Amino acid sequence: MKSAPFEHHEPDTVDEAVSLLESLDDPTILAGGQSLVPMLRFRLANPDVVVDINGIDSLDYLREEDGSLRLGALARHADVEDSDLIDGEYGSFADAAPLVADPQIRNRGTVVGSVAQADPKGDWGSILLAHEGEVIATGPDGDRAIPADEFFLLPYDTTLGEQELITEIRVPAPGPNEGSAYHKLKRKTGDYAMAGVGARLVFDDGVIESAGIGMTAVDITNARATDAEEHLEGERPSPDLFAKAGELAAEQSNPESDEHGGADYKERMVDVLAQRALSDAAERAGTVTVERRVTQ
Amino acid sequence: MTDEREITLTVNGTEHTIEVEPRRLLVHAIREDLDMTGTHIGCDTGNCGACTVLKDGEPIKSCLMFAAQADGAEILTVEGMEDLPEADDIHPLQEGFREEHGLQCGYCTPGMLMAGKALLDEHPDPDEETIRDAISGNLCRCTGYQNIVRSIEYAADELENRAAADGGAVATDGTADAEPAASPEGGHATPEFGGDADTFCGREDCCGGPDGADPFDRDALLDDAGDGDGTGDADGRDDADAGADATDRGDTK
Repeated sequence: MKSAPFEHHEPDTVDEAVSLLESLDDPTILAGGQSLVPMLRFRLANPDVVVDINGIDSLDYLREEDGSLRLGALARHADVEDSDLIDGEYGSFADAAPLVADPQIRNRGTVVGSVAQADPKGDWGSILLAHEGEVIATGPDGDRAIPADEFFLLPYDTTLGEQELITEIRVPAPGPNEGSAYHKLKRKTGDYAMAGVGARLVFDDGVIESAGIGMTAVDITNARATDAEEHLEGERPSPDLFAKAGELAAEQSNPESDEHGGADYKERMVDVLAQRALSDAAERAGTVTVERRVTQ
Repeated sequence: MTDEREITLTVNGTEHTIEVEPRRLLVHAIREDLDMTGTHIGCDTGNCGACTVLKDGEPIKSCLMFAAQADGAEILTVEGMEDLPEADDIHPLQEGFREEHGLQCGYCTPGMLMAGKALLDEHPDPDEETIRDAISGNLCRCTGYQNIVRSIEYAADELENRAAADGGAVATDGTADAEPAASPEGGHATPEFGGDADTFCGREDCCGGPDGADPFDRDALLDDAGDGDGTGDADGRDDADAGADATDRGDTK
């Protein structure tokens, strides 16, 4: 099926894009298009105007700067997958990138677009939450940083303003005692998650100073497992500690039964995936190796 | 609203200037405006990969991109494969699919070939897992993928052999193929399907050699299928790790 007709604008700069968003009626932003194009074709989205940001070269970056990892709005999933910086320091990003869809889609789809789409089954939202990252929105009044916690509202709905463009997402660069990981259960290669858990642990002298856990596909948005995070902080890692954290994350999740599994099963998977992600994060932090209580 | 704009696409080395509406998909521009119907449309959802083409060397799904977004790009479609420098008569990948029975109905094949081409450009000597990853965005409902994987392996071997024949260049990791050298005709067939005497590689159970099956002797093949000799490919059916259920929408972020 064809999309309904639309006006296609291709700004070259962020300023130009923002003034288009300001002046046009009901514009939709097109980045990688791997979700939007099918939505247009099935007429689930019928915008009069599409603002295509692929020509804004200044948004095509993935770099560390001023203590943060920054991904511009045109950083593709494949850019994350191929990045040495990611590979060396950002375990959760390195885990997640190759699990997003398939190679063709990773070549086009963007991380920021995935976050903006706010599909609760999207992987990057959980990672952004686990890392306590920020979404940088640029609008007529300039930039504002939206904490990941305050970004996701409902499926496909966020606190981004109508005249704002997400230009970047950023997460704090890890210190030497930090590790992160992402585990995802999917029915088969290329699928959305049935459940996913991202974890980030920061240690101070063997004690967990700070913990972040984000969950995929088990609530109406990507969600943080705050009870589990609180339980971990101030403690030394152990199989029992991680098992309890997995249990708390499962309790805080709110999955729906569907053709791939019942809610009980998915809760149990949150428990398992949380333990695996925490165990990997602890190991990558270089502090400890925690035996997993849950077998693979 | 229906304003058309002029775009330039370089497809298989030939520059084309066409007028398209903004909503025109790249795949429709290729098939309908340029009359190159080798690139297929399978699922309309971005799942099946039949519409895979290389845009500036990268595999993308041409049904998930508007033609206007490819303005100025270099596109490679299946029609261009036989004209590539590494192609002889046909491209080694196409040869691989023929030799290893990498297709049945053939619908997914153009996309598989493009995914395979992108893979071999980057990894000339891929292991099986890498091949399966590379075609994980391409669905095949016929083959069970086993023969597609073998077809791509065949092409990798063939390209390596040709490189070696062209002046001793071997794979960049320096490991030459430990298997017996292929015949000048191009490789040996798998033990499952023997080649004919012209391409006999000299190995037992291979290429029509001693105990090798004649690929065209259907009765012999059927006889063999039950004896655990591996003639049949029944184990291939369920190995759909690289595949998917066509009714499901995959992750199309």
